[in-house]
Amino acid sequence: MSDAPAPSGAIGAYVPLLDGPEKVTGAAKYTADFLAPDALCGRILRSPSSHAEIVKLDVAAARRLPGVKAVVTGADCATPFGVLPIAMNEFPLARERVRYRGEPLAAVAALDEATAVRALGLIELELKALPAYYTADEARAPEATDLHAERPGNIERDVVYELGQVERGFAKAALVREASYRCAEVYQVQTETHAALADYDALRDRLAVHCTTQVPFYVHLMLARCLAMDKARIRVIKPHIGGGFGARTETLNVELICALLARAAGGKVRLVTSREETFITHRGRPEQAVTLKIGMAKDGRVLAVDCETVQRGGAYSGYGIVTILYAGSLLNAIYAIDNVRYHGTRVLTNTPPCGAMRGHGTVNVRFAFEALLDTMAAELGLDPFAVRRANLLRAPTRTANDLLVNSYGLPECLDRVEQASGWQARKRKLGQGRGLGMACSHYVSGASKPVHWTGEPHATVNLKLDFDGSIVLLTGAPEIGQGSSTVLAQIAAEVLGVALARIRVVAGDSELTPKDNGAYSSRVTVMVGNATVAAAENLKRRLAAAAARALDCAPEDIEIEGETFRASSQDQGLDFDEVVTAALKEAGTITVSGNYSTPPEAQGGKAYRGATVGSTVAFSYAAQVVEVSVDEETGQVTVEKVWVAHDCGKALNRLAVEGQVQGSVWMGMGQALSEETGYFQGLPLAANMLDYRVPTIAESPPIEVQIVESNDPLGPFGAKEAGEGSLAGFLPALANAVVDAIGLRVTELPLTPDRVLRALDRQRRAREREAARAARQKT
Amino acid sequence: MELLPPFELLRPTTVEQALAWRLENPNSRLLGGGTDLIVNLRRGIGEAPQALIDLNQIDEMTVIAGDGAALRIGASVKLAALAAHPLVRAHYPGLAQAAASVAAATQRNMATVGGNLCLDTRCIFYNQSEWWRASNDYCLKYGGSKCHVAPKSKVCYATFSGDLAPALLVLEGEVEIIGRGGRRTAPLAELYSRDGRDYLSLAREEFVCSVTARAAPGLRAAYDKIRVRRAIEFPLAGVAVALARDGDKLGALRVAVTGTNPWPVLLEETAALCGGGVDEALLQRFDALLKAQLMAMKTTFTSGHYRRRAATVLARRLVRRLFDGGYMGETR
Amino acid sequence: MSKLLTLTLNGRERVDAVADNVLLLDYLREVVGLTGTKTCCDGGECGACTVLADDEPVLACLCLANACAGRRIETVEALGESGRLAPIQQGFHEKLGAQCGFCTPGLIMAAEGLLRRNPRPNEDEIRAALSSNICRCTGYVKIIEAVQWAAGLGAAEKPS
Repeated sequence: MSDAPAPSGAIGAYVPLLDGPEKVTGAAKYTADFLAPDALCGRILRSPSSHAEIVKLDVAAARRLPGVKAVVTGADCATPFGVLPIAMNEFPLARERVRYRGEPLAAVAALDEATAVRALGLIELELKALPAYYTADEARAPEATDLHAERPGNIERDVVYELGQVERGFAKAALVREASYRCAEVYQVQTETHAALADYDALRDRLAVHCTTQVPFYVHLMLARCLAMDKARIRVIKPHIGGGFGARTETLNVELICALLARAAGGKVRLVTSREETFITHRGRPEQAVTLKIGMAKDGRVLAVDCETVQRGGAYSGYGIVTILYAGSLLNAIYAIDNVRYHGTRVLTNTPPCGAMRGHGTVNVRFAFEALLDTMAAELGLDPFAVRRANLLRAPTRTANDLLVNSYGLPECLDRVEQASGWQARKRKLGQGRGLGMACSHYVSGASKPVHWTGEPHATVNLKLDFDGSIVLLTGAPEIGQGSSTVLAQIAAEVLGVALARIRVVAGDSELTPKDNGAYSSRVTVMVGNATVAAAENLKRRLAAAAARALDCAPEDIEIEGETFRASSQDQGLDFDEVVTAALKEAGTITVSGNYSTPPEAQGGKAYRGATVGSTVAFSYAAQVVEVSVDEETGQVTVEKVWVAHDCGKALNRLAVEGQVQGSVWMGMGQALSEETGYFQGLPLAANMLDYRVPTIAESPPIEVQIVESNDPLGPFGAKEAGEGSLAGFLPALANAVVDAIGLRVTELPLTPDRVLRALDRQRRAREREAARAARQKT
Repeated sequence: MELLPPFELLRPTTVEQALAWRLENPNSRLLGGGTDLIVNLRRGIGEAPQALIDLNQIDEMTVIAGDGAALRIGASVKLAALAAHPLVRAHYPGLAQAAASVAAATQRNMATVGGNLCLDTRCIFYNQSEWWRASNDYCLKYGGSKCHVAPKSKVCYATFSGDLAPALLVLEGEVEIIGRGGRRTAPLAELYSRDGRDYLSLAREEFVCSVTARAAPGLRAAYDKIRVRRAIEFPLAGVAVALARDGDKLGALRVAVTGTNPWPVLLEETAALCGGGVDEALLQRFDALLKAQLMAMKTTFTSGHYRRRAATVLARRLVRRLFDGGYMGETR
Repeated sequence: MSKLLTLTLNGRERVDAVADNVLLLDYLREVVGLTGTKTCCDGGECGACTVLADDEPVLACLCLANACAGRRIETVEALGESGRLAPIQQGFHEKLGAQCGFCTPGLIMAAEGLLRRNPRPNEDEIRAALSSNICRCTGYVKIIEAVQWAAGLGAAEKPS
């Protein structure tokens, strides 16, 4: 436990999560746990084909089956949905065409599961096959059929820009190197499968939906849109959520289909998807190829960067445009780089749609960048730490693409992990088969421009104080396991000077809580945290004013010590109950609001189309060292230990920060070591938790976390994000450690044993060829 | 994932009763720990059974008995119990290692010896949901006519992945089988056909009641496997080696491999490797034997070539270590 | 075909009419209404449904309810009493062994099974006992500390 005897809730302490007790007792209710004996069972018919015209979809026999209460198809919703207002091209149920295997075609609601399954079997389906494309290259071939008429050439977005003078940078460089990297598609595998419980009140034309989402507000908007219902008639409730990691950062077809079924049936429908269906719904990180060219001065300074990258986006737009923009934008804001050329291409393919997975957009490019930095450092005889130090920013500053950097703890992160890992003494000295590698990474603390820009504040928090002295913090910010509700309660308690136990958090119910954009892009701590500070200060002012009236003094003379309010000269003062009674005299129960909007200077520039993507109030920074051992005969890579330092500005809750950083590093390890999706003609080969290899406890290493606090001027109490920034660094740190261990540079992830052996074989053949050539030249 | 099909659960307490029910219900399946069968039934794999016959209530099938020379293991013994049994740990370390390496801890509390020996063969085109397989026109192993691993093949290449079989094959494993004619015994190797589809050579009503292992004097045995994660997964390759030294020469050598072929491969022609020391030349001949007898079919997410190569590496290492005595030591 | 299933669930004897093809997991969640035990994978791959059967961890998604006749089944709801958390629950809470909490009931039951047969496990024993359980949030570091805390092992007493 923390230094304090009981959870004090104080900022900076180790505070167990407020909702921990219900999670460890099994009392916490997740969407599928709302047992509703009166609910119908929903099931989805999914496309057997990758790309086809729907010639016939006859649901008459299914409708006639006794026990079937509703059948819906694409005919029931002609309005497309999507997270980006400029790229809505997905329907809850396919219309006219299917574009990936597993895309929903129809859904039934029946009295029980067996009947629902039987009804699906009665649906007559006739498809006419169209050419299907499973790789970005196939889809962009000149003769390829377009998946979407409005996306010619199957290009979702082609982003091209140049900052500074790239060619001059290369010309001045002592060393220019180019290399290609490839990262397999990965998936979140949040432990809770997608589910929804939709309750349609036909008498009042009202809809209430419980669902597994990180963005209840977006779900609310899309329900209204796809069901053509007045927003005021909809209620979205976010219960406990079994993880997100970006899989639920946009409205998914699951909740829309469930609602369509509920309305069609005039009642309640429970739709719990299988693990396979959750995989197919996808929204993971795309397969991505990166070709990177860096020009470097003798001292390690990066003089120019040219990055070309292609993402296989899947069948629908989703977040695609944002993902490909992030991939370029976040080449900046970690090091001082003036000259950057970027060409990013997002391609539509006949595979499940990708999304905004943890570390959105940055991870695969960071892998390439930090790997190439190491390769070039080695050629120049520079230590990996030295080459990073040669490129540090000096905060406060603005980057070449006009991103604001006010706080920058990367130098300290480097020092801390260098020391903790014993780098200087141990690097290159661990013997054949064992090695150390390092890398850096960063991430935004909330996107400064939300995708649904309305002009409203970025975050609003309400605090309700009632006669009993309890304070209820009402927020739309979804607690999804990251600990946001605890941190917000801590912030309110800290500002108000009250005990944490006095504060209860109600999060994510559109009928009770203020609107919030959701739990994504690591926005909650900074944006909703700042709104909480504002709300708590408002409440504090109200209490001080009431105390002043009761004590007959000026509000500015009130001294607040914990829960006691005193006039400056008076000893006795008022306890909290007395202040509350005094405050409620005016107008009864008090509800105050606090708002937060990102300042204009943090909203990015206009350097190129889409340059606001990447803009944020504050960047987190991380450095890590990874120790590996490699079995050169079997190709097995074992991660022995990780040292990571993360600059989160200020740790509001050290326990939660450590947990987030460990989780991020470890999720990066999964992508680096073992995780990948794969398709056989568009059928997912690893849509289960056996073939999709999320690391087990057996091979997961100790992860030692160092918290660095750079105290950002715009963060609440100086805080920045903690839950994403240290993910990306793991991938290159691992690859760099493998170089140290066995002298092999692997450029394709994940580093599964078969890939490692293939790379070793290639290296061996290349060396043999080289030796033969050298021998020939001698003779 | 589909609902489980309707079936009757039968729970016999004697092998005779089990056999009687088996004969009465030709379309029945045998339930051990359920760690593979229930998953497959949930996926709609195989014909929906009328009945599941639960073999866990039959006392004689839950017993481990024997000594350092021979060991009889009931088919319903749980893998966790086998791995922890003092007799097994003391005298049959390779078997204990194999049992302790299956899946992960909780699965081993459920999974049985018989279930692991009779584990259905696996393939990336087979261990999928009903929707998945239907979308792919099913496959040769179940419901279809085409093998997606080898499209021209008339035989199924689904891979045997049980860990116990190799460990028992190198200990001259023998299975006791209950059938219409009563009890019979057969060498474990004969339990397996060489077709991934009908992978067991049992008659329709027959079932394995126990398995016997023998530890010849001076025999050293060990098991090792490789997988991407160190828990839960099936082996990409698993290798059991038993050998005896004759002075500084290799006196006897038995090698068995799982995870590559539709059956657990008891390596043939190993006798030709005996009579000399264990040096690089011998190991190269050993490699050649393995390469000739192990398959490299793409039946898993990981390539078949990798699995065969990994098996070769493990086999070499085990032979070296056992021969040098630096590994698990002698079994007695 | 339904049968009368008699078993001891969380200390109470129960009799329910249950069809032979009902999984223990669905019996617990949908018939009894104990939703602490979670459904996460499509069968046997993640450990979220781990419960104790006669003190041993088993996967409720692979057990037939009627095959548990006469057994003593315990779910996460059984732990702790009189408004107090059991040590393993307290450990998961205090040490942040639970983030999103979805895998937590299964992990807690696997850990509880370990501590009942081995009250002072070392780290390797903890890793081995929990190796059937996938957690996607924590990276497992704090889960190990949570089990050590519950076992009263000194190393985990300091703040993380």
